[in-house]
Amino acid sequence: MIGVFSYLVFFATTASILAIAVLGLNLQWGNTGLFNGGVVAFFGAGAYGTLILGGTAQAGHLGGFGLFYPLALLGGMAAAGLMAWIVGLLTLRLRHDYLAIATFGVAVAFENLMRNAEWLAGGAKGVRGFERPLRAALGDGFIYNLFFFVVVLLILIATYMFLERLVASPFGRLLRAIREDEEAARSLGKNPARIRLMAFVTGSVILGLAGGLYGTFYAFVSPQDVLPTLTFQIWAMLIVGGAGNNRGAIFGAFLIWGAWTLSGWALSRFAPVDVQLYTGSVQFILIGSVIVGMLMWRPQGFLPERLVVSQRGKPQQMQQGE
Amino acid sequence: MSIVKTMGATAALAFGMSVLAGAAQAQDCTTKIGAVLPTSVDWGRPIAETAQFAVDQVNAAGGAAGCEIEMVLRDTQVDPKVGVDAAKALVDLEGVNVLLGAVSSGVSMPILTSVTVPSGVLQMSCCSSSTAFTGLATEGKTGGLWYRTFATTGVQSAVGAKVAADQGYKSVAVLYKNDDWGQDMARLIAADFAAVGVEVTASVAINDGQPSYRAEVTEAVTSQPDAIYLALYPAEGTAAVREWLSLGGTQNMILANSLKSDEFRDNVGLQYLGSALGTDTASPRSESADAFRAAYQERFASEPNGPGLANSYDAAMIVLLAMEAAGKDASGADVAAAIARVTDPDGTPVSADTAGFTAAKEVLASGGNVMFQGATGNVRFDANGDVSAPAVIWSFSDAGTEEVEFMSLNDVDAFMASLK
Repeated sequence: MIGVFSYLVFFATTASILAIAVLGLNLQWGNTGLFNGGVVAFFGAGAYGTLILGGTAQAGHLGGFGLFYPLALLGGMAAAGLMAWIVGLLTLRLRHDYLAIATFGVAVAFENLMRNAEWLAGGAKGVRGFERPLRAALGDGFIYNLFFFVVVLLILIATYMFLERLVASPFGRLLRAIREDEEAARSLGKNPARIRLMAFVTGSVILGLAGGLYGTFYAFVSPQDVLPTLTFQIWAMLIVGGAGNNRGAIFGAFLIWGAWTLSGWALSRFAPVDVQLYTGSVQFILIGSVIVGMLMWRPQGFLPERLVVSQRGKPQQMQQGE
Repeated sequence: MSIVKTMGATAALAFGMSVLAGAAQAQDCTTKIGAVLPTSVDWGRPIAETAQFAVDQVNAAGGAAGCEIEMVLRDTQVDPKVGVDAAKALVDLEGVNVLLGAVSSGVSMPILTSVTVPSGVLQMSCCSSSTAFTGLATEGKTGGLWYRTFATTGVQSAVGAKVAADQGYKSVAVLYKNDDWGQDMARLIAADFAAVGVEVTASVAINDGQPSYRAEVTEAVTSQPDAIYLALYPAEGTAAVREWLSLGGTQNMILANSLKSDEFRDNVGLQYLGSALGTDTASPRSESADAFRAAYQERFASEPNGPGLANSYDAAMIVLLAMEAAGKDASGADVAAAIARVTDPDGTPVSADTAGFTAAKEVLASGGNVMFQGATGNVRFDANGDVSAPAVIWSFSDAGTEEVEFMSLNDVDAFMASLK
């Protein structure tokens, strides 16, 4: 029984970390309409930044600064934000699929940089030698995992509350205005370029936060962690959960990651022995079918965006900035 | 939605059936071992099949430590978080204390740091080659729970340098797979070539899955080497070699063991591979290795050619022998400690098949130690869980591959010492 509980804690930790990433993407795509096809680059910047800043010294590459953990995590987020700011300045004039292709290219470039620049982050071997915070006090076992889960969950809740307030604020409404009709927003004296950049950087910092937690959880990151698959997975979570709805984003993360792991477990457990070898491929088909099915029958996601019409009788913050 | 419902119903049905099946087998004793391997990748599936093959042989000998062995196999999809989750599920839900896997170092490493070491589970990888594991073990962070049967890249590169020296090549260009293994190989082979006085004219990284390698190959061709060293996998190796030959590159090739595959030979064409010499950790000198080869052919109707097959077999077999040696209800650490008893150079030699396992049982039961003579030779681990092994130089032939020269473990050690 303790085994099941221990596994569920582990599962929920990974799912919560992914949920934070989906929330970051939701700010960019769901609320602002920015098609970020390079999610993994910002996620990776957070992970690499955190481990390099917080790790022990390693021969052959940058690192070993051994910063106090929260500072290392903030540093990872800053790295993601800085990269988003530069990328944003260069690419945010692009729209829709052009932006997607440009950001996807950034992600591939990021992976290749990490794979080849051995002096920077160990190349294909990745960054190791990171001591998980408070490990000395809590040991390595279940208690530590439970503690880490609680921390991740609190960060997830804090991120959710921050974003809920943000999108309910006049700024959030401005994001949606830009998403729906940029010309109209401009005609009201708003500066869409600046606002788009702000949303892009904020979302990327949240992605970097998720990446930092991910690297901390495994105490390791390598170029294999920043392959385009992760971008696809996070997008699938957002689409299935419901773009534009923060609860949908969290729900989607848990649902897709749950389906991903549960199908692997169920197939290994229940499939006949001669099919066992093919369960990996079968799993891909199952997951793909679920996503295609969602797009066909419920393209708005399980928890679609709640459209808020600004009118009298709505909560007060809806009225401000009119 | 209907797909989700159907899936739920199928899962529920399957669950019900398994409960029935579980009840029927309740009096038998079964020990589970875990395997996390990339079965959704073409070259990963045979690695898993070979591990299962070893388990079947052991079950034919009555299982290990008095129980039948069930290998629970999970796919990693070569995705670290999927592999880590699968490993955690195997440890927590299936209760395994022995884990085979993974293949990629980038997957094995997070499993080691976040699952097996914290849970005290033995992890034995067939194929992870990164030198980062040696570093981790040196720092004492693997807790003696990490082993791998993939001989350190040092043996491969040393023998590659020996081939170049023996053939009288003065200059060599290197093409390497751009991952942790390939980068290690490129670095080591450059040092070893330098030690035997061979000049490296170009060292070019080959990324996976590119439609063309013309730019990379051109860079190597224009450096006009006497020979080319290839540390690549079959798919990219085939593409790169085709371009290499079509650009007029020499047919003098030195191949890492990853290209010891029928796929590579057939797709490039045997007529172009007459001057190609490969290196591998040694196989097939002892009777046991012949036994493995024969049994493998009987089971799969093909030669055990392909990256990691022999390593995967040995990984599974050594773990099972160690479980036998550690006895019933042993912890992961107990099994890890027992590995020394089944790879003891002074122990009774046992072959790599059902009969060998039966013989090993008797020796271990009477308190003796055994020396497992595996598909990759007499496997011997050092304190970091790394394996050193005898080596073989091979070439392609009509039937597959044939041995050109065999180097015993002592030869290999002596040659590697001479390079320092």
